[in-house]
Amino acid sequence: MSLKAFKRALWVYHLNTGSCNGCDIEILAVLTPRYDVERFGIKLVGSPRHADVLLVTGPVVKQMVPRVKRIYEQIPDPKLVMVVGNCGTEGGVFYESYSLAGPIDQIIPVDVYVPGCPPRPEAIIHGVVMAWVKLEKLVKQEVT
Amino acid sequence: MTFILESGYAFWNPLIWLIAFAVVMVVVYFFRRRGKKEYKKDTAQTRIFLCGEEVPEAEQRHIRVGNIYWGFFETLKEYYNQVLRPHTGIINDYILWFVAITAISAIILLIAGLAK
Repeated sequence: MSLKAFKRALWVYHLNTGSCNGCDIEILAVLTPRYDVERFGIKLVGSPRHADVLLVTGPVVKQMVPRVKRIYEQIPDPKLVMVVGNCGTEGGVFYESYSLAGPIDQIIPVDVYVPGCPPRPEAIIHGVVMAWVKLEKLVKQEVT
Repeated sequence: MTFILESGYAFWNPLIWLIAFAVVMVVVYFFRRRGKKEYKKDTAQTRIFLCGEEVPEAEQRHIRVGNIYWGFFETLKEYYNQVLRPHTGIINDYILWFVAITAISAIILLIAGLAK
């Protein structure tokens, strides 16, 4: 696997749509010195306007739907959406709850799924790399 | 011509400022050029980001600076009620005030001059 086309660092915007924080803690673990993804240029940013990847956790409660759509629209192209955790992937323990509008792929298009409750940091890093590879393909398509 | 202005303690040279300005502009241009160009104009990608919330109109989201002086205005309410009344914003009223004050001043000066 070679990463050549996308020369910049990969910036990620993290959005919690009603998660129990389990996945969010694992995402933070990815940034700790033990895993330290920033050495690969992967880092969390505070605004979707700076992001390449939208990283979503949580099963998407109804009140979050317009916010999810708005944040997705605010990310510049080419962009990818990555879901971390069972809740965002298929509802998890909140499946068929009255307050849910998700899972996320019913609201915005999703490119990478990282299942788990919560997924291990290694799985999240693997998911980000998958997103990176897909993003490179998108960039190449736009160039050609 | 050196363009140097010396005060005895320090000096001021516009050329240094121009060079510094040019250097800053080059740095700004460098960072601006490295910015993302892929965004689509006139879409949500150029709108203000407010944690995903809908951004209200400028009049609704900005707090007027006058609100800082609320206590001041509240304390001097009676005074301001009196002072604001003549401030109609109509230029004719202001001219009328000007003419009236000038006439009164002229009369006072005239009387004072005659009394001497």
